[in-house]
Amino acid sequence: MQYNRRFYLPVSDHPMIEPKRVLRALAEHWALLEPLCEHFDQGTLSLSELRLQLAAQQLESTPQDITTLLDVWIRLDILVPVAKSPNRFELNAQIHDFLSYLRREHRLGLCLEIEAYLRHLERLAGYIQEAFDARDANDLARQLRLLDMRVRDVLKKLANDEQALVAVAERAKTSDRQIPLRQRYAEVLATWDEYVEPMIQLVNADGAFEQGVRKVENVLLRMLTDQQRLGHLVDDDMLLRTHARILEMQTSAQLTLRHARELLLPLREEARRHNAVTRGAALALSAIRRRGIDAVPQAAMPMFTRPQSTFLGSANQVEAYVYALARFEPKPAHFPKANITRKGEPPRAPRTVKEMVERCEDALPMPDLMVWLLEQEPTGATDELLYWFSRLSRDKRFTRERLERREYLTQEHRVSLRSFALLSSKDATTENSEGTAHAS
Amino acid sequence: MHLDLSEMTQLAPIFRELFKGYHVSRRDPELYAQLSNLQDQYRGLFKALGFELVCDTRGFYYFVPDLAAAQVNKTAQRLALFTFILVEHLADQGRDPVAVLDGGSLGRDELPSLLEKYRDLFLQAEVQTQEELEEKIMRRMTQLGFAAEEVGIYRFLPPMHRFLDVCLSVQQDRDLAASLHSALPLPAPVLIDEDSDERLLETDDPLDLTEFDESAETEEQALARAIAEEQEHDA
Repeated sequence: MQYNRRFYLPVSDHPMIEPKRVLRALAEHWALLEPLCEHFDQGTLSLSELRLQLAAQQLESTPQDITTLLDVWIRLDILVPVAKSPNRFELNAQIHDFLSYLRREHRLGLCLEIEAYLRHLERLAGYIQEAFDARDANDLARQLRLLDMRVRDVLKKLANDEQALVAVAERAKTSDRQIPLRQRYAEVLATWDEYVEPMIQLVNADGAFEQGVRKVENVLLRMLTDQQRLGHLVDDDMLLRTHARILEMQTSAQLTLRHARELLLPLREEARRHNAVTRGAALALSAIRRRGIDAVPQAAMPMFTRPQSTFLGSANQVEAYVYALARFEPKPAHFPKANITRKGEPPRAPRTVKEMVERCEDALPMPDLMVWLLEQEPTGATDELLYWFSRLSRDKRFTRERLERREYLTQEHRVSLRSFALLSSKDATTENSEGTAHAS
Repeated sequence: MHLDLSEMTQLAPIFRELFKGYHVSRRDPELYAQLSNLQDQYRGLFKALGFELVCDTRGFYYFVPDLAAAQVNKTAQRLALFTFILVEHLADQGRDPVAVLDGGSLGRDELPSLLEKYRDLFLQAEVQTQEELEEKIMRRMTQLGFAAEEVGIYRFLPPMHRFLDVCLSVQQDRDLAASLHSALPLPAPVLIDEDSDERLLETDDPLDLTEFDESAETEEQALARAIAEEQEHDA
């Protein structure tokens, strides 16, 4: 098949192709073009490959139909021959980008591109300042428009890159788990190194992005003030709009970066972990080969000795205890029924301190506290009696006098202690004052 | 803490498995579900009984072995060696080792070639035949809850992360990396009496709790040691 050499010439020599015809062809042949895009994403196609692809999609078409179709695409500049390989074809770069946009296929750009845009924005800010200083309203408006368009380019690029990053993460996540790791994560690692890492540097507080944005912002804000003072060269709205777009670009870059980190960091960590596991295993095997199975440090090894309880008891006892616990059934609590009358004497309520102190006061003077307590509470428990002994002997209402040690018999014990004789504190004071009076 | 024993319906089987050194994971749905639902209660109860229950967030439970007798046994060494070999073997084949060891599987028919390829290393773990490989390594892996065997396929379970962690810690062990290039001997782990491990294998009763006969120390020696330790402590 021969094609007219006219179409192989550089684009600039082409006659103007009517846009409507290109768009109509794209719309009309979308079903054929879309699957071809995937092939063109991977590289170029030879004429015979192209014919095969199209024939597979259009089973009823004749070779002549395919030739006509290809001829149309070539004439409309949708397909272009690869330089120095006239028998291989690729999609016109502009159309390829447009189709990628329509297919939501995004190729990740370079971080360097963004940096270049930023440098250009800085330069434009310089030109804007110069135009303002020269009071050249036309040049100022032109430079502002250029700046605005460049910012839009950056925004478009950031949006495209974000979509491309999502695709990178998706490809890594959905790829076959059995394919080699290096292959599976190669794209993620390359993207991280070539895009995310430089982007982090770029968007850093002292990075080129922030510096560029700040520089442009300063020029625009100063111009707004100067216009108030020196008179308007351009509409304030134009300056404000450009300023707003600059800020939008800044936010957008930060969001894209954050999104990229969220998407790729876990995958990158996973890849690193895989590498670390493989490297660790290789290292351990190398050590074992050289120095035997004991070469791996003990600290690194999990321990599988039978668990030992720190419980005070033999393993058998602990085990028996657990099984007893497993069979444990709580005894149901029986509460007395309200309508049943109690047999025998009701249990006595415990004595209160107030009650005991009052009874003790009534019994003053008391020759021996312990004897008195035993008379009062003949059936009292020893610890209870000793509590009262301690409590009453220390009460401020009484004056105490130590007695000789002797033994006392409670219901359960024989207690040996030095008891006290108790007097009322008031009586003791009176006696003392009387004594003092006599003395004087 | 409030413990409601009537809720802990799986206490006996859970304890029996953990006490054997078994790792409970989703492979045992009933035990795992109860441990997950009543994690604090079980941990509290076992702590009161002197056992430390480890709840690994990657989806498995096990008892920490007694640290006083912190010794790596032969089983741990064999299983770790097998993990290292498997990771390298899979990586050599271009397969994803972590994907296989974290929920993936290995065909029983892959064992002979593995044994052949790493014969020298397996020899160090006293594994020479496929029977020994299955008996001393694969069977122990299933007994301890690291893998499950299903019709000629070994499926690896989440507790395998303990061995993947070993790989990571070896990788991070700069001393080990450095010592590989030096003539100095590597720090050798202290091993428990090998017999005790073998006896674990021999017993048919999982609850055979007869003490391992590892105290060859006489009473006098024990006393002398205690005095020496005391003096050291005072110093």
